[in-house]
Formats: sequence, structure tokens, C-alpha cells
Amino acid sequence: MTAPSHKLCLLGDFGVGKTSLVARFVRSTFSERYLTTVGVKVDSKLVERGQLGPAKLVIWDIAGRDALDALGMNYLRGASALLLVADGTRESSLASALDLLMQSRSIVPRAVAAMAVNKLDLVDEWEVGPAVLMEIRRSLPVFETSALSGDGVEAAFADLAARLPA
Amino acid sequence: MTRPAPAAPRPSLPPEDPATPPGAFERLRELLLGSEARELANARARIAALEEAQRALPERLPAALAAAPDADHAGRLAAALAAPVSAALGTAVRTQPKLLVDGLFPVIGPLIRKSIAEALRSFVADLNSAIESSLTPRGLRWRIEAWRAGVPYAQVVLRHRLACSIDHVFLIERESGRVLWHAAAPELAALDGDAIAGMLTALGEFVQDSVGKTSGGGLESASVGEHLVWVVAGPAANLACFMRGAPPPQLRERLQQRLEEIHLHLGEPGGNGPDASSWAAGLEPGGLLSAADAALPAGRARLWPWLVLILVACAALGLWVVRDVRWNARVAELQAALATHPGFLPLGIETKSWRALTIRGMIDRDAPPLEAVLARADLGKVTPKLEFGRYVSGDDAIVAARARRLLAPPAGVGIAVADGVLSVTGSAPAGWVAAARERAPLIAGVADVDFRLAERLDRAAALQALQRLAARAAELQVPFAEEAEPAADAAAVLAAIVAVAREAAALAETAGVTLVLQSVGSNDESGGEAINAQVRALRARWLADALAAEGIPGVEPVAGDPGSRRSAWLRIRIEPAP
Repeated sequence: MTAPSHKLCLLGDFGVGKTSLVARFVRSTFSERYLTTVGVKVDSKLVERGQLGPAKLVIWDIAGRDALDALGMNYLRGASALLLVADGTRESSLASALDLLMQSRSIVPRAVAAMAVNKLDLVDEWEVGPAVLMEIRRSLPVFETSALSGDGVEAAFADLAARLPA
Repeated sequence: MTRPAPAAPRPSLPPEDPATPPGAFERLRELLLGSEARELANARARIAALEEAQRALPERLPAALAAAPDADHAGRLAAALAAPVSAALGTAVRTQPKLLVDGLFPVIGPLIRKSIAEALRSFVADLNSAIESSLTPRGLRWRIEAWRAGVPYAQVVLRHRLACSIDHVFLIERESGRVLWHAAAPELAALDGDAIAGMLTALGEFVQDSVGKTSGGGLESASVGEHLVWVVAGPAANLACFMRGAPPPQLRERLQQRLEEIHLHLGEPGGNGPDASSWAAGLEPGGLLSAADAALPAGRARLWPWLVLILVACAALGLWVVRDVRWNARVAELQAALATHPGFLPLGIETKSWRALTIRGMIDRDAPPLEAVLARADLGKVTPKLEFGRYVSGDDAIVAARARRLLAPPAGVGIAVADGVLSVTGSAPAGWVAAARERAPLIAGVADVDFRLAERLDRAAALQALQRLAARAAELQVPFAEEAEPAADAAAVLAAIVAVAREAAALAETAGVTLVLQSVGSNDESGGEAINAQVRALRARWLADALAAEGIPGVEPVAGDPGSRRSAWLRIRIEPAP
């Protein structure tokens, strides 16, 4: 029996490291040029979920923006999971990620979501304080990630996959 | 334009004190500012040298660039110039495209011609191959296939030469872009179908969002070289087919049909649907192609052109037969009419249906014209051609016409022919009657002559006869015994006078004259003149009354000359007709 597939969309402001996170997580099939032309790049990866069984994540890396336009909304349709990505060194990117989450709820109200605060390797330069992260964790899971070192990347995707139906 | 700022005023020296020795301030200035003044002079010299070098740069730059490739730093120069030259070219393309087009024209033209020549060469090679193959068993088989399928031979050749192969078939959930089912040709390497389906869905959204908003359309096909992607859209899922070559047109119809069937089995969007094996049968690449080939409208495509051709041929044949039958019927009617036409002996009719008609035959010169018969035949636009010979007809009507032509009978003469017997009836002048009696037996077709003619006088003869009758009338004297009492033999004389008067009246019309009849009374020499005149008048009156009683009215009684005899007589005076 084939593993069920689920659409996972990455949302976040420009330059927060979404594409780097995906590159760390999967071996990309398509060029990153699609992000600047079509506005999205799609990859997939089979993840193991223990007793839940394997699941295939079809990851839509939507080009960075602080608000969703009509095309971005179309790309979101049918998504089962959302990974919001913020840059720990830019507190404004955290607000953008939360705004994008609010916007996407009109399209995918039942999609599971998680927050990845990226660039953990530059933690000394972070503007996002622990108190803020603590506050966000009250609403959704937050993972401190580094696309450079790979810290937290697998955990973030694994958490989302674990919350998807078998 | 801005005006240059005025030069800063130099610090002015206080006016020299007369007690101060001359040149003291200049020396003080030299002591205080000498070094700075020298540096200023040096700076001015350097600036002048730089400006001079700047002015000389346009002259030196071409030579320096020309020498650059030979120098050691050629790579650095090229790297340094790459960015500005690229930017300059980009700017030139945007601002002066025509200049670039004109400049590239001599280069692009030969390239295009070369490309077209290569394409034509390839096409000619394919065409040669096709022509060569047309005489081989395989070519004949393809021709039969084209004939059966009702498509051009070239299409069959192309179908076989550009054989279509399907690499992948994706059934993609329309909303999420997830792969619901995927099949690939067995010889192909595995690929990330989910990523491909997702990107294809994203491209479809992109195309629809970019250009399909108003038309409501989306990405239906895309091609790169021989690779082709067809996307058949459904409300819940799309079917994407990755192919190579030239797919048969029936394939899209087959894909659409299968997608409609699949929608009957699909679950709710977002779910993973039922087991694909239950409804994906026939979506495999090989199965799709087989189904598309089987979908060729073989039966009807084979038959309908022939049916149409046969119907057209039957209609044309029927029309031709109807026209021919109508023509033949009209020609037959014409032949019948010609056969009964007097004085015409038909020998044959040659026809070309509704195009030409030639009538051959013999015709008597006294036969009535054929134009009326031909006009009644209603031959359309065909003008009959007549080829006649002459003959002498024995037909009674023609013989009668011939007799009329030859005898030229006067009014009052009737001519008829029955069974070759010429009957001439009526009355005619004696001279014509005599001539007719001589000529009539000699007329062709006349076997016998039956003359029942009364001879008629002509005018002169009639006039002479009248004159004779007038003289005869004057000789017939009715005798009287006494005064107005006729003698015993008066009745006989009166009867003779009546006969003369009637004959004269009959001749007057032929002679063209008017007769004036007078009864003249006479007496002998005895008696007185008055009494004699009275007696002459009584006798003239008596004769007029007697003639009136015999049917000859209008006789004028006149007194005659005295002294002759006791009688009365009829004077016939001939006068020209009014």
C-alpha cells in the first residue's frame, strides 16, 4: 500500500530561509528559478512516522512575501500542513509569518501549522526574545532551526507529519 | 542654470602703517604661509596634469583597449568590462531595439535561412522515404489503412513515423496538486511524481492567473521539442499525460472519457480516495494508446464517403435517366408528328440528348412548313438541323395544293382531290376552263379529272351579249289590236321580252354595267296626234306593268315615235356602272 501524501506549504517573509530549510530537508528536483518565475517550487519527501506509518510530504515552497496575493492563495489550496518560517534576527519577519498564518486560514482552516524560527546559528544576533517565543508557543509549535547546521529542521517537519492523518 | 558662487574674498591685510618698512607684510606672509602656498601650487600642477590626461583619454583609450588582449591583465580587463558592457547592451536593447535589429539583421538572416534549409532537407528526406515506402508492402498496407480510416495517406505515414509513446500518466487532485495515481512507461527511470505533479499544478495556476482569468481557461497542453504534456481538467482531478511524438487526436477524447469515469469513483477532495486499482484500469500508457487507436471511427469513416458517393452517383444517374426519358419522349412525339405531316417523308432522326437533333427526310415543295411542328416539340435550347431532299408527294392534300398552284383557279372555282381524282367545281371564264381542261390531267398525282364547271363570260363578251340582247329586245314588238288592248299573239312576244330582260340582267354584273329598261309605246299613222300620244303612253304603261307582273320591276314607260305600228317594246340602254 502506498503512503498517503499530504501537501505542506512553507510561508514566510523574503529571506527568512524557507528554501534553505527545504534544501536541507529534501533533495530538490527543480531549480530555485521557479521561485522567481512561477512563485513556487515543489518537492516531496517520504517521512516515517512510527506507528502512523510513512507519509509523503509534498512541500510547496512559496516565494517569500509578507502578504498573500491571489496566486499565492491558489497555491495554498488543498494544503494539509503549514510551516511558517521566520528569521530570528529580524523580529518583523515573525510578525509577517503570523500575518500569513491568519491570511491562510481563510483558505485552509483545518491545516496543521508550526513555526520555524530560523538562523539559529546566528542566535547571538537574534532580535526575537524567549518571552515572545514562549507566547507564540501557546498557540502553535515553535521550532528553532538552522538551515546551515540542520538543527531543528527534521524535528519541525516531523512534528507536522506526525499530526497529519494516516 | 546656476550662477557660480562668488570667490571667497582673500583675507585683506591691514593698510600699511607708514612707519612699517616696505615689504614687511609680504615677508611675514612668506614666513607664515610659504609652505602652504607651495603645496597649493603643487596641487594645482597635479590637477592640471590629471585634467590633461583626462582630455587625452579618448585618444589613448582605443589604443589601450586594442593592446589589452596582449597584456597580462587582459582577463581582468574583460572581467571589469563585462558588467558595464552587459548593462549598456541591456539599455541599448530597451531604448534602441531597432538599431540592434538593423545591426543583427545580416547575422540573423543567414541563420534563419540555414535553419529553414535544414528543416526542408529533413522534410524532403522524410518525403522521399514516404514516397519510396509507398511502393513497398508496408506502404501499400498504410495506404489500405488510410483508405479504411478515411484519412489522408500522409497522416497515416506521419502517425507511423512519429509513433506516439506515453511516458507518464498522472491523476492529480485539482485543489492540492497531490498525485492520486501515477503510471509510467516500464522502461523509464523513477522520478518524483509528487513534485512533478505539484509543479504542473502550480504552472496551471500560474497560467490561469496570468492569462486565463478572462477566458476561464487554464493550461491544457505544453510542448518542448518532441515532448508534449496534455492536461485534461476535471472538477475534482486533472489527468496529465506526458508524451513523445504525435499523439492521435482520439487520445484526448479518451482521456476526457476516462476522467469522467474516474470522477464517479473519486472521494472527497483532501482525502486520499479509494484504492486506485479499482478505477485506474486502462489509464496505463499502453492501455490509453490502444484505446485511442480502437476509438478510430473505422466503420462509419470507411463507409460514409462511399455512401455519399453512391448516393450522389445514383442521384446523378437518376437525373440523367429522367432527362433522357423526357428527351426521348419528345423526340418520339416529334417523329409521330412528322410521319403524319402531309408532303413530308421522314427518313430518320439523329439526336444527342438535349444537345442536338438532326432531321433527315424528303419534302414536297407544296407541303406546309415544318416550323409549327418543331415549335410544338418543345426541345429546349436545341435548334433542330433539317436535312431535306425533294420529292413529289401523291398525298391528296398535296396534289390539291399542287393543282391550285398550277391551275391558279379564279374565284368561284373549287378544287379538291380524293383518291387521285381532281374535282373542279364552280364557274369560270370559258378561256380558263378550256386551259384547265388541258393542264389538269398532266398534274403529278392526278389520276383522273372531274370537271363540273359552268363557263362564265368575261366582261367584254358579256357586254357584247348585252348589246345583242338590247337589239333583240328592240325587235320584239308586242302587237296591239286597239288602243291599249294587246293583240292575240301579244303573250308570246311578252314571254320573249321577259327572257331577254332576265338574261340581260344576268350579264350586266359580269359586264360591269348598269341597265336602264324603258317600255316604249308606238302607234300607226291614223288618228290625231294627241290621241296617238295618249295611246302610246297607254301601251308603254301596259308593257311596264306586264313586265313588273313577270318579276322585272323598275321599267320606265316612255312614249315612242309616232307613225310606225301599233306596238310596245322594251328598250335596254347600257350605261357604265356608277
